[in-house]
Amino acid sequence: MSLNLLLVEDDAVFAQAMAEELRGLDHCVTIAVDGREALAAVDSAPFDAVVLDRMLPRIDGMTVLERLRGSNMTLPVIMLTALGRSVEKVEGLEAGADDYVVKPVAAAELSARLAAVVRGRGWTGGSADTIRAGDITVSPTKFRAWRDGIALDLGKLEFKLLAEFVANADAVLTRAMLVERVWGYDFAPTTNIVDVYVRHLRVKLTAAGGEDPIVTMRGVGYMLRG
Amino acid sequence: MRFRSLRALTLAFLLAFLVATIGTGFAIHGITLQTIERLVDRRILVVSDAIAGAPGDRRPADVFRRIDAAMRERDTGDIGLLLVDANGNRLGGNIALSRRLPLGFSTIARDDRIAGLSAGRALVRDVGCGMTLTTVAETEPFDDYNAARTRIYLIGFGSIVLIVVGGMVFFVVTIGRRIGETRRTVEAIIDGDMTRRVPIHPSGGEFAQQAMAFNRMLDRISDLMASISNVSNDIAHDLRTPLARLRSQLALALRRAETEAQRDDLEAAIAMSDELLAMFAAMLRIAEVEGGDRRAAFTQFDLADLVREVGDMMQPVAADSGRQLDIAVDGPTRIVGDRQLLGQAMVNLIENAIRHTPAGTRIEIGILANAAATILTVTDDGPGIPADRRKLALRRFGRLDPSRHDAGHGLGLALIDAIVRLHRGTLSLEDAVPGLRVVITLPRN
Repeated sequence: MSLNLLLVEDDAVFAQAMAEELRGLDHCVTIAVDGREALAAVDSAPFDAVVLDRMLPRIDGMTVLERLRGSNMTLPVIMLTALGRSVEKVEGLEAGADDYVVKPVAAAELSARLAAVVRGRGWTGGSADTIRAGDITVSPTKFRAWRDGIALDLGKLEFKLLAEFVANADAVLTRAMLVERVWGYDFAPTTNIVDVYVRHLRVKLTAAGGEDPIVTMRGVGYMLRG
Repeated sequence: MRFRSLRALTLAFLLAFLVATIGTGFAIHGITLQTIERLVDRRILVVSDAIAGAPGDRRPADVFRRIDAAMRERDTGDIGLLLVDANGNRLGGNIALSRRLPLGFSTIARDDRIAGLSAGRALVRDVGCGMTLTTVAETEPFDDYNAARTRIYLIGFGSIVLIVVGGMVFFVVTIGRRIGETRRTVEAIIDGDMTRRVPIHPSGGEFAQQAMAFNRMLDRISDLMASISNVSNDIAHDLRTPLARLRSQLALALRRAETEAQRDDLEAAIAMSDELLAMFAAMLRIAEVEGGDRRAAFTQFDLADLVREVGDMMQPVAADSGRQLDIAVDGPTRIVGDRQLLGQAMVNLIENAIRHTPAGTRIEIGILANAAATILTVTDDGPGIPADRRKLALRRFGRLDPSRHDAGHGLGLALIDAIVRLHRGTLSLEDAVPGLRVVITLPRN
């Protein structure tokens, strides 16, 4: 997914490096160095998403976010912060941020999260009882899943993991994203919990034959082919 | 002598005070009686001398006359006189005696049944011709003098005792309340509420001054703590920012790397900077937990349920690394706390057990509950930690083997300890013979 991004970051070195990396991942990146520039940029050009540093000179990130939301701008925003306190995270999300990431963040991680928030806006969900990706069908309400019409016997976490993959088919999900969304943890496990569960899920998905639908993105995370 | 409490000190003081008061009462009583006795003795001696007359002037007729005169006279009319012969026959006087008194002074009581006399002194002397003259006077200035004196003592000393006891009780209660206020403030501060202060009473005085001094000390401490926390936040921020730059430069260099060797080196460098960043993240997390703010969000939940949830989740991870994880919980164990943080503590403990034991180790997570506490244990039958090194393991950055590079940042147990202290519990390491048992004791209520 190629996105038109606004990166609001006062640290020139970090901003340049991040912009170059994001461009390397096929995104268009515009840099704003403070809050005022950010608000002006949002008014003058259409962006798919904003990466907003929390600490900025002149108008700080929280104020920029509040002004954006105050003027009915529904543009997806990912907050970036040097500090990782849960209180700040809650504040950021309550102020209307779509995601909250602690600096430094790998470009691939940021890109995956940007893709997720942009996709999240387009996804209507709701009405359908089941979600599908390729030959995999998941029913979140019934806690059941099928591959090629054959029911899968999954544990609770395996089911949540598969549902997350199916809902984000063809998009990269990083380990950190999976830990947050599937496990609901706000800390990074020091063991390979995600990898172990993905391996178990792969075994169950391919038990009745068929190709492995989960692709490992080296150093980044996983992706389910739709 | 050491008094362990205000109450003991007060009781000791009251005891000493009562002994002194009662002693004083008895002393005054004794001296009063003695003085009265001496005065009465002197008086009856004078009267008796006058009636008996000089040794050469003791004719019976004169003695009779002098008795009659004395009985008639106003200033001696209250004196009892009795003249008896050698056989005890009454010869004259205005009283009768039920017993024979010895020669000299003696004390008379109500038992002696002298009309109108309840206590007195008597002087018996030989007045010649075998006759003896008994002179009696009351030692009570008025009727029921003794009862009145007892009343005076009771009312006088009683009211003094009441005033002192009341004062002491008031004193003890007041001091106790002031000390209680200070203690509650200290406890709140130990629990992490640095905003608490000792209330200052508008009346002023020593207590208010002490409270103000105490509060100034607390202000100073919280200023210092705030600046320490600012410093660590600043360090975290100021070091994280260049580290973030470093990491993104390395990531950029990795993208531009041309050879596999360069890529490997840069990936290793990125991994190292990630380790450093994880260390900062852990430090900030510990600071956040230690701040105690999360206590406001405590809820009641079933710890056994959380143990099963985390245990079930970690079982495949343990199995994947060749260890066995067992869950030992029975019925529901309700506690009040932060479910997410305790879940993190359990995950981290199991992760530690997996990382620091050889393959084939059996790990068990369980709950023991008693009336006073809920005890969460994570036990393994691995190599354990020698007794003298367990303290080091609990210290921040206290890595047991500095040469190990895969053992995390040495903040894992410090974070778990902070989480346990947030729940007012204790964390300890025990010998599981063989192996290590991590014990988290959470107090009930």
